[in-house]
Amino acid sequence: MTPRGLTRFLQKLGYAGLLVLGVWFAMTGFALNAPAFAQAQETAAGSVPGGVEGSTSDSDFWRSISQGERGKVSIPDQKAAVMINRSGEDWRLVRMGPLPLWGGVLIGISLVGVLGFALLHGKFKLHGQRTGRVIPRFSQGERWVHWFVASLFILLGLTGLVILFGRYLLKPVLGADALGAIANAGLQAHNLLGPIFIVAMSIMLVMYFKDNFYQKGDFTWALKGAFFSKNHPPSWKYNLGEKSWYWLIAFGGTAIAVSGVFLIFPTLLDDVRGMQLSHIVHAICAIVLIAASLGHIYLGVWGVEGAVDGMTLGYVDETWGLEHHRWWAEEEIRKNHAVESAPEAVLAAKKETST
Amino acid sequence: MSFLEFVEGPLWYFAVAVFLLGALWKVVGILRLGRKADLSIPRASATVGAVRSQFLHFVPHGGFTFRTIYHLTAGYMFHIGLFLVLLFGAPHVIFAQNNIYALPWVSLPYWGFVVAAQVAFAGLILLWVRRISDPVMIKISDKDDHIGSWLTFLVMLSGCMALQESVGALRATHMLLVDLWLIYFPFSRLMHAVTFVFSRGYTGAFFGRRGIVP
Repeated sequence: MTPRGLTRFLQKLGYAGLLVLGVWFAMTGFALNAPAFAQAQETAAGSVPGGVEGSTSDSDFWRSISQGERGKVSIPDQKAAVMINRSGEDWRLVRMGPLPLWGGVLIGISLVGVLGFALLHGKFKLHGQRTGRVIPRFSQGERWVHWFVASLFILLGLTGLVILFGRYLLKPVLGADALGAIANAGLQAHNLLGPIFIVAMSIMLVMYFKDNFYQKGDFTWALKGAFFSKNHPPSWKYNLGEKSWYWLIAFGGTAIAVSGVFLIFPTLLDDVRGMQLSHIVHAICAIVLIAASLGHIYLGVWGVEGAVDGMTLGYVDETWGLEHHRWWAEEEIRKNHAVESAPEAVLAAKKETST
Repeated sequence: MSFLEFVEGPLWYFAVAVFLLGALWKVVGILRLGRKADLSIPRASATVGAVRSQFLHFVPHGGFTFRTIYHLTAGYMFHIGLFLVLLFGAPHVIFAQNNIYALPWVSLPYWGFVVAAQVAFAGLILLWVRRISDPVMIKISDKDDHIGSWLTFLVMLSGCMALQESVGALRATHMLLVDLWLIYFPFSRLMHAVTFVFSRGYTGAFFGRRGIVP
C-alpha cells in the first residue's frame, strides 16, 4: 500500500469510526433517554413515575419518604403532605412483635403460675372448724355489680385475646378464613359490650371505693408472709393484694375504657397517632389485667376455702372471717353484725342494700 | 344446599312450625285446665279486673317498687332492648320481609341497633347475675331457667357477632341458634312471653270479682 493509499485507508477508517461512534452515541443516548421518554408518556397517561430527577439520589429520596418526611401540598388537608406515616409502621412492628410476644409470655407465666400453685399447694384450707355463725361480707348490690363486671370482663377478655393472639394460636389450627370469621365476630362483640363494661366498672369502682384505701397493717400483712404464712396474718376487710387488685382495675380499667372509647370513635382524635397509642395502651393494660385476673379468679373461686361464699351468698363463716380478715371480722363482731344463721345474714345483706 | 340455606330454609320453617304448634298446644292445655267455680259473692266485675291487671302489673305495687327496683329495671332493659332489636333491627326487617311478610316496615339506624342491643345485653346479664347471686333465686332456679337464659344470650351474641354481615358462617350460626331457640321456646319458661297474659288475667279476675284492685 502506498502512503497515499494508506492515508486514504486511514481517512476512510476514521470516517467509519466516526460514523460508528456517532451511531453508538446516538443509540446510547436514545437508550439512556428512553425511560425518561417512557416516563413522560406514562406520566401523561396518569401513572406514577418510576424515577426521579434532581440533585437528590433516588435512594435518599425514597429514604426520606419512608421516614415520614413532610413535603408540600396545595390542598387544605396538610396530612396529605406525608406520603408514608412512619408511626404507622412503628405501630405495626409493635403490634406484630413485642406486644403479642411479651403479652403472651405474661399471661402464660400467670397461667402456669396459678395452675402450678394449684397443683402443688392446693387449697388454702380453713384451720379451724366452721362455727355456723356467719358475717355478712358483701351486700346484694355489691355482689350483683361484681358479677356483672366479671361476666363482661370474661366476654371482653376472650374476644380481645382472639383479636390479639388469634393469628398465632388459632390460624395454624383453623386456617385463615375461619380465623377471619372468628376475629370479625369477636371484634363486633367486643365493640358492642365494651361500653356496657365501662358503665358497670365505673359503678363497681364507686361501690368498692370505701374500703380499698391502703391503711396501717396492710404492708405488715404482706411482710408477714400473706397467704403463705402458717399463721395467717390479720388484715382489714380487704388485704394488700385485694386492695392492689382494686387499684389495678381503677387505673388499668380506666385506661382501657378511655383508649377503648378512642378506638370505637376514631373521630374523637384528629391524629392517627392517637389511635395507635390508644391501641397499644388498650392492649397492654388489658393483658396486665387478664394476667392478674387469673390469680384473682383462682383465689376467689377455688383457691381459698370459703372465700367464694362471700360473693355468692353474701356472707362468710365467722372462722373464715377471723382467719383471713381478723381486724375486719373482729370489728363486725363488735358491732354485732355477725349473726347466728345464713337466713339472718341474707336479710342483713338485703337491708344493707336498701339503706 | 349450603348450611346457611339449610338453617334459613327447611330448619327455619320446621322451627317456626314447632314454635307455633307448641305454643298453641301449651295455651290450649292451660285453657283446658279451666278453673274452679268461684263461689264468692261478686262485688265487682271479674272481667274488668282481668283487663286492668294486664296493665297494672306492668309496674310494681306501691310498696314493692324499691324492693324490686333491680329486676324491674333489668327486666325492662332486656325486654325493651330485645324487642327493639328483634322488630326494628335492619337485618331482621329484611329477613322478615323476605320470609314472613312483605309489608313496609321501619328499621333502626345502625347506632340505634347497637344501643338497643347494648341495653338488652346489660339487662339480660343483670338478670342472670341476680339468678346466680341472690340466695333465694339460686334455690328456685333450675336447669330450664339457665338454659333459657343462655340460649337467649347466645342468640343475641351470635347476632351481634354477625352484625357486619361479611361472613356467611356467622349468619348461619346465628340462624341455627335462633332455630334452636324457637324449638325450645314452647317447652320452657320462655313461654312466659305468652302465658303472662293468662296469669295476670286469672289473678286480676280473682281479685277483681272481690272488689280488690289486682
